[in-house]
Amino acid sequence: MSLDRRTFLQLAALSSGGLLLGITPGCANPQQVRMEDIAGASGRFSPNVFLTITPDDRVFLAMNKSEMGQGVMTGAAAMIAEELEVPLEKIEPFHTAKNEFRTSVGEAAIETSAGMQITGGSSSTPENWVPMRTAGACAREMLVLAAAKTWGVSASECTAKAGAVIHTDGRKLTYGELSKTAASIPLVENPKLKKPGEFNLIGSRVTRTDAFDKVTGRAVFGADVRLEDLHNAYVIHPPTMGAQASSFDAVEAKKMTGVLDVFAFERGVAVVAKKYWQARAAAATVKVEWSGGLLNGLNSDAMMRDQIKQLEESGTHTLEAEGDVDDALERDDVTVVDVVFDAPFLAHAPMETQNAIVWVREDDVRVWTPNQSPTIIAEGVARVVGVDMSDVKVETPMLGGGFGRKAAPDFACEAAMIAKRVDKPVRVIWTREYDTQAGYYRPQAVARMRGAIDKRGNVLAYSYHGVSQSIFRDMSSMMGAMYPEWIPTIGKRLMVRAGVGFLETGSFADFLATEGVTKIPYAIPNVRVEYTPVKTSLPVMFWRSVGHSFNGFMKEVFMDELAIAAKKDPYTFRRDLIKDSPRDLAVLNKVAEMSNWGEPVEDGWGRGIAVHKSFGTYVAEVVEAGIVDGRIKVRKVWCAVDCGIAINPDVVHAQMEGGIVFGLSAAIDQKIELKDGVVQQGNFDSYPMIRMFESPKIEVAIVNSGEDPTGVGEPGLPPVAPALSNALYQATGVRLRSMPMQDAWDKEGAK
Amino acid sequence: MKLLINGKQVTVDVPDDTPLLWVIREEVGLTGTKFGCGKALCGACTVHVDGKPKRSCVTAVSSVQDKPITTIEGLEATDGTLHPVQAAWVEENVPQCGFCQSGQIMAAVALLAKKGKTVTDEDIDAAMSGNICRCGTYPRIRKAIKRAANAMEEPK
Repeated sequence: MSLDRRTFLQLAALSSGGLLLGITPGCANPQQVRMEDIAGASGRFSPNVFLTITPDDRVFLAMNKSEMGQGVMTGAAAMIAEELEVPLEKIEPFHTAKNEFRTSVGEAAIETSAGMQITGGSSSTPENWVPMRTAGACAREMLVLAAAKTWGVSASECTAKAGAVIHTDGRKLTYGELSKTAASIPLVENPKLKKPGEFNLIGSRVTRTDAFDKVTGRAVFGADVRLEDLHNAYVIHPPTMGAQASSFDAVEAKKMTGVLDVFAFERGVAVVAKKYWQARAAAATVKVEWSGGLLNGLNSDAMMRDQIKQLEESGTHTLEAEGDVDDALERDDVTVVDVVFDAPFLAHAPMETQNAIVWVREDDVRVWTPNQSPTIIAEGVARVVGVDMSDVKVETPMLGGGFGRKAAPDFACEAAMIAKRVDKPVRVIWTREYDTQAGYYRPQAVARMRGAIDKRGNVLAYSYHGVSQSIFRDMSSMMGAMYPEWIPTIGKRLMVRAGVGFLETGSFADFLATEGVTKIPYAIPNVRVEYTPVKTSLPVMFWRSVGHSFNGFMKEVFMDELAIAAKKDPYTFRRDLIKDSPRDLAVLNKVAEMSNWGEPVEDGWGRGIAVHKSFGTYVAEVVEAGIVDGRIKVRKVWCAVDCGIAINPDVVHAQMEGGIVFGLSAAIDQKIELKDGVVQQGNFDSYPMIRMFESPKIEVAIVNSGEDPTGVGEPGLPPVAPALSNALYQATGVRLRSMPMQDAWDKEGAK
Repeated sequence: MKLLINGKQVTVDVPDDTPLLWVIREEVGLTGTKFGCGKALCGACTVHVDGKPKRSCVTAVSSVQDKPITTIEGLEATDGTLHPVQAAWVEENVPQCGFCQSGQIMAAVALLAKKGKTVTDEDIDAAMSGNICRCGTYPRIRKAIKRAANAMEEPK
């Protein structure tokens, strides 16, 4: 993928007369301050959408991706700095505002993901790999040409280094000194990029560009944005999704200090006050009667039973079919493994609950919200307010975690519904409880897996039938159901565009519900993958590693069961079956070597192994675990990853560590249950996280295949749950096929 | 009501039972201290009161009048030098999303004030398990605490 010519040309236009629109007075969002700095700099050089160099030698990087902890700002800064020849610390990355960076043809050219601005699918690094480096190289070559022109010499006598161009005779001009001249140089469209052997910055451990702000409290997250006359709305949400306030009593609340208004709206009862705590305190006095709802008394247990029942039938969709699975399963000389797996709904639970500020003025709607897609936010808010999408400007402060949840627009739409009725900028901050209960969950999923092994231990058949809610298929109709004032086709179009985008970038090579169980690397002659979608009104959503989050578990526990049935070692069994898939094999061998696989482990402890490719990245993990006083305890995790060229190896390590801890929270404890349409979990007491004392030692190694880089935000997660189940089998002899595994152990193992 | 925050006296006019977190954020204007759960379950709102870690989301402001309160903004030296714990956090590239890190750092500073260079893994487990990190930076927090402890050992 390359930064297309049109984008470059549009941005050339930006440097010479493009628009930076509407900076809001009194806003302390540093993203916006940076844009203000750019807009205020005359003689600036912006050769493309990403990069601006100002005469005072500042280098701004307009990010097309949201920084939610995964290190995209640091990664993109390294790619730019590498080619631009500036020290990494010189780069100032910031989230670009939707609809504020415009070219002279009126199109927001920052929409690099198939016409959208969206962050997901571990796609940021592969999507930016060519464009960011090209942007840096293009600027560097133009700066060199500018210096040559200034000095009246040949460009071949000039070199770019450390933020300046140097002539062979020692003359030197900084990029800032060259910016005005560089802006008049014809656009360089096909700059020469470095070869991997020439990299200085890419592949080195660097300090994250956001580290300082995040250890000093300076980083501005959603709730930290300051605006003049900002008001706060506390929303009393219904006990079940979609219920409406049929009546409410706010007599007392309206008398309380700071309270501006109390009113019922589509999503609950809004208490608007100057301060958040005033609104919240007043809300505690409001009595609300609720009626209706969208979930029809949904029970997740009953739904699970229904999903499992559907496994008795064939799937409604066949995604993969090779050979004759039925024939292999029915042979009388084979051992058949026939098992059912399940995984619950899950909430994302970022540390920062969803929040948004919306300010509605005529033909000018402003949104400040930590989000994964300014495009989706703008479209949703425009729909709610009833304006054109181009009239909605979306600022993205730092994200206190996202994990997929912040690609949904519901929190911003909620703020917009309130802001429509209040002539002021209004902020909504969700409680932890509501953040957990607001839906857009990882789907509840079940699958039946069957395999056949012959007398010599060869695997003859692999069959998967999954039953779960389809994320893509559901999302558009759910948006329509939840926000009746939206035009559903718009939502649908957006989701289709998002889907196309992911498909084009290779992030989701197949249908989300079966990703991770199709195109498996194991050499098995007869393969069948089937899927049956189920529908509920409970919204489901991308959740860190999406379909891989349950399919990785199911596939790799199943492979372990096949290994045991074949009386083979779980590592060598896999190794022999993936010998024709070199990148899978390399990470598997590496993790076996790191963990000293095969060495005896003390009684009560066991080791499990798993290998899984997701989002183009190959990861193998070994988990050492046991049961201590009835509680699952993970002592150590080894992880080998091949993500191609590691832009910043330390970020790769951090993402593997993070994916493992995130995956363990889900594997051991987390579940979202519904009883009569009411979500049973709320705060961290009922939706627990792995904490420091339970966090295992983690050892990560990068296997360098030298391939183009792939993402690392998600791929560390899928192997950890199956490796844990496989370890517990070795430790206890009990096979856990259900998540969360502590529940499964309490039910199965404690017998 | 008078409060002593980061060495400065401030006067606020709020109901007695207002949580310290919201007074710090909305009245004093220091936004480094975060709202994560509102129930003292996650530690994102951790500040020091009298040098001890305190969950500001469940602390009534009236209970800390005239007691010295320190927030993340109060850790840096007046010349801008980072506190050794903050410096260690940068060295180890601890933060991912960063939302919990103010609370993590405040908890770690209090731990090291008590244990210094003698801090053990068990001390870290005990002192830090009240602070949730959804991004899973625990292994790095552990390393950074040990790094900061070692830095404290060096003669000044």
